Amino acid sequence: MPSLTLLLQSVLSGLFLGGLYGLLGLGLSLTWGMLRLINLTYFALAFLGAYLTYQLATVFRVDPLLTLLLIIPGFFLLGVLLQEAFVRAGVNEFISLIVTFGLTLIIEAVIQWIWTADFRRLESGYGAISFRIGKLFVPLPELLAFLIAAAVSFLTWAWLKWTYVGKAMRATAEDPQIAAAFGVNHRRLALLISGLGAAYAGIAGAFIALIYTLAPSQVYAWIGVVFAAVIIGGLGNPLGLLAAGILIGVSEAVTMAVTAPGWAPLVSFTLLILVLLLRPERI
Amino acid sequence: MTMRRVPAPVLFLLVGAGLAVVPSFGLPAFFESFLYICFLWAALATSWTILSGYTGYFSFGHGAFFGAGIYTTATLAVSFGWPFLWTLPVAGLLAALFGVGIGAVAFRVRRLRGELFALLTLAVTFVLSTIVLNTKIDGGPGVFLSAVPLPKTFGSPVGTIYLLGLAIALVTVWSAYAIYHSRWGMGLFAIRGDEDVAEVLGVPTYRYKLVAFGLSCFFAGLAGGLHASFLTYVTVAESFSLLVAMDAILMSMFGGMTHWFGPSVGAGLMTTILYSLTGGGSAILNRILIGAILIVVIIFLPEGVFGRFVHRLARRRARRASAQPSPPVLTQDAPARPANPGTSLLVCADVRKAFRGLQALARVSLEVHEGEILGLVGPNGSGKSTLINVVSGYYRLDGGRLSFAGQNLAALEAHRIARLGVSRTYQIPRPVKWLSVLDNVALAAMFGPHTYDRPTARAHAWRWLVFTGLADKALALPGSLNLHQRKLLELARALASEPRLLLLDEVLSGLTPTEMAGALQLIRQIRDRGTTVVFVEHVMRAILDLTDRVVVLNYGHVIADGAPRDVMRQPDVVKAYLGKAYA
Amino acid sequence: MLEVADLDVAYGDAPALWNVSLTVRDRELVAIVGPNGAGKTTLINAIAGLLPARRGDIRFGGHDLSRCAAHQVCGHGIAIVPEGRRLFIAMTVEENLEIGCYIPTARTARQKSLDRVYSIFPILRERRRQAAGALSGGMQQMLAIGRALMACPRLLLLDEPSLGLAPALVDHLFEVVTEIHRDGVAVLLVEQNVAKALEIAGRAYVLEQGRIVSEGPPADLLRQPHIQEAYLGHGGQVA
Repeated sequence: MPSLTLLLQSVLSGLFLGGLYGLLGLGLSLTWGMLRLINLTYFALAFLGAYLTYQLATVFRVDPLLTLLLIIPGFFLLGVLLQEAFVRAGVNEFISLIVTFGLTLIIEAVIQWIWTADFRRLESGYGAISFRIGKLFVPLPELLAFLIAAAVSFLTWAWLKWTYVGKAMRATAEDPQIAAAFGVNHRRLALLISGLGAAYAGIAGAFIALIYTLAPSQVYAWIGVVFAAVIIGGLGNPLGLLAAGILIGVSEAVTMAVTAPGWAPLVSFTLLILVLLLRPERI
Repeated sequence: MTMRRVPAPVLFLLVGAGLAVVPSFGLPAFFESFLYICFLWAALATSWTILSGYTGYFSFGHGAFFGAGIYTTATLAVSFGWPFLWTLPVAGLLAALFGVGIGAVAFRVRRLRGELFALLTLAVTFVLSTIVLNTKIDGGPGVFLSAVPLPKTFGSPVGTIYLLGLAIALVTVWSAYAIYHSRWGMGLFAIRGDEDVAEVLGVPTYRYKLVAFGLSCFFAGLAGGLHASFLTYVTVAESFSLLVAMDAILMSMFGGMTHWFGPSVGAGLMTTILYSLTGGGSAILNRILIGAILIVVIIFLPEGVFGRFVHRLARRRARRASAQPSPPVLTQDAPARPANPGTSLLVCADVRKAFRGLQALARVSLEVHEGEILGLVGPNGSGKSTLINVVSGYYRLDGGRLSFAGQNLAALEAHRIARLGVSRTYQIPRPVKWLSVLDNVALAAMFGPHTYDRPTARAHAWRWLVFTGLADKALALPGSLNLHQRKLLELARALASEPRLLLLDEVLSGLTPTEMAGALQLIRQIRDRGTTVVFVEHVMRAILDLTDRVVVLNYGHVIADGAPRDVMRQPDVVKAYLGKAYA
Repeated sequence: MLEVADLDVAYGDAPALWNVSLTVRDRELVAIVGPNGAGKTTLINAIAGLLPARRGDIRFGGHDLSRCAAHQVCGHGIAIVPEGRRLFIAMTVEENLEIGCYIPTARTARQKSLDRVYSIFPILRERRRQAAGALSGGMQQMLAIGRALMACPRLLLLDEPSLGLAPALVDHLFEVVTEIHRDGVAVLLVEQNVAKALEIAGRAYVLEQGRIVSEGPPADLLRQPHIQEAYLGHGGQVA
């Protein structure tokens, strides 16, 4: 049985990781919940963002956090274009899964082509900074990632809850026909949410570059866990997703500390299976 | 299982024999490997199609069962020293057991369709791979099978692997072929088209899906067991890779996932493309290609290369078969059922059904007498369709008694109710899109009370198509019919099971007056041949013309029950329809 | 104000409306009655832009609505209370009302409209933070009407508002409709409950199997056998 400190440290890192799960899954959750489209491309886009951050920071010496200024609008545009392409190709809910998997394959392969399969590590000043709370270490990049994730989730939730556009988004998700009867333009909202999702993925990518060593194949490693978080948290529910992400992150971390690291994935997928079997209406 | 074309088993034998002797031609080893890979993927893609192509339940977990097969063989051969050949059937069986275990639970969940099943099977892959990775089965470093002795054919163990690969591919494809032409296959396609309709027609959907899943996993496991010996070194990452599942799906879709031969065509084509363009080398180009083909195929070629070819042939055949349109004619070869007019056939006593606070049926009591045409009417929302759904088994009763020919219906599953002789049509026609008009009707004959086999059912189906005037459209797909014809198809399908009780749900809506007159004529003939009819309608003139007795529902209660003209003049009936001023 | 001319509407290949023409003038309360399957909801949905017309014209205040996209119709001054209410059940009562005034012209009058709706339906104010799905049928109907009122419409389309309501509530419902009409909103009311509809309407059309078979003031219609024929299959006396 590991020491209390070790356990608490695990919980903390699980917490931070959970926030990142939430951020990474936010685009998927929103577009699935609101547009009934399962868009796996966000994972590949996140890694594209990660590699771009790495490139800008390493080769052009741009501060990694400043790269966000480029990434956010650029990826937003990408998301808009992607949604427009889906509409024109007539992609519906089911084939969206396969089409976006195809896109993910292509983007990931292109990433490998450009940056090779070699591991890439972004060395930045941020990585060296960490705080101490009692006996616990709090590394700055992870903390930042978590805070940004939490802020973005909260802001998105607030946007959906309190603004007109947010409410229109929720209405059109439920009944696009009647929402249109009251003036809600579904197509435009769909572009907006897709753009947002891609921008979120880009942000997540920037932090992944700050925290982890990059390799193209890692795109796939995150898909399963984030999917689980999205479904457990409830589609289109930013705060639910964050909570689910944290739940999964913490349980994984504790499992790793108590047993062996390899058992961690079992947690999220068993939870996912249970949710699918017991609460299929979540989808 | 019957086979449609006599030469088929001969064809399989010829192809098998031909391919079997290829290694003896002395070609470079590359060809054997290439062909073996084709066989492997043919087996994987075809086994995937047996469940997912035929029923529409997309499994994303084929990799799990493939991996299970790989590791069963690896573990048994390496850790327990089993002879290699004996591990193969065990690999298949174990994978099948996993599949059946998952299916037994998953298929019971009523709303687990489409994407959910895909995600579930995906999750299973991850769980299984984690377990294998972290226990003694693999533990991390992978398993070496190079020391496992293999019997030699054509002078080397590679020849054995080649032959086994061929054998497994042949068995898998032959199974797909046999299922495709069997009654079971028809049921699977019906499930794909519209599972609720299939269940109400008498298809035992749960059982059929489960067995298809089990068989699909069996072949995947079998292929996995063999592939372990080909690879000689297996790791969890490669064995349970998501790419295995996606490749199988892609190849099946590329060739045509609803046909028994489509996946093999897809496997052959894809393997050839990948090898010739990338030399099996550049994994990057491989992935880009796979991704691109995946997108293009599913958007622009949903039927698949071979599938489109097959459909075009079928359409051409259908057009050629279009004869002169024949008017509805009563054929005399089927004996009219001797009816006991007047006896109670269906009894509803205090039937209750509520949905989320709305009491759709509130203590409904009525009787349907054998040989009559009973009209069921009432304003919108009065519960007419709900009653039909309850009687046919689509909904469960909340309370009360429901019996048909003495049998208690409340506890029966819908397909068992169909077997008793209850049949229904849908207000908005729900034909099975994938089956021809003839097969749609034959479906009912196959799974109704008589459970005919496929050829007999088809013969019966012809009769009903002639009866309803659809004979010239027999080979067409329902999508090419207009509304009137689709309603006639509904009728023909409902009749083909030769039911004792026929429930017609607003069959006249959307028809022109002439079409309506024809439909009424048909219904009269149906009754004259001994079928009892419950006729839900809004078109009052039809009710008055056709029915012997009318029951009026309002807000889920029976408010009148008697001769049509009398009932429609009763004050509370008038009030229910028109409001107080008229009563 | 509203002119429908020679409208043909179909669901796929199933024709639902043939050659339907009707008008609603400023501040009128017009009813459309007819049995089930007659096409009443199809007609309302076509006017609201939810269904495309195969042939014919829909003009409102001089504008050609058949050229509008679905989300532009509301801006012209038409609001719909759909059959079965079709509320946003996951959203609260007040949020449902706010979607009603989503269009820019209505948004500026949000508070005023809210106050007005709450004064007509005080019970909605009590429950304004409740999810719409948790309300009873009668309250849901009131919310649906309130939502439409929030759009400050010149024409209100009501599709079978009495459906699924207990008889006592139906009376209250029609009182509300009359009151709204008195405030100056034109109403096109589709109803199965003929007696109630004819009580409050100034003019009515009878729709049977996709065609208008009769029109005129309620008194005239009550004298003709068309309505009884259509609903009950006979034009004769009640037993």
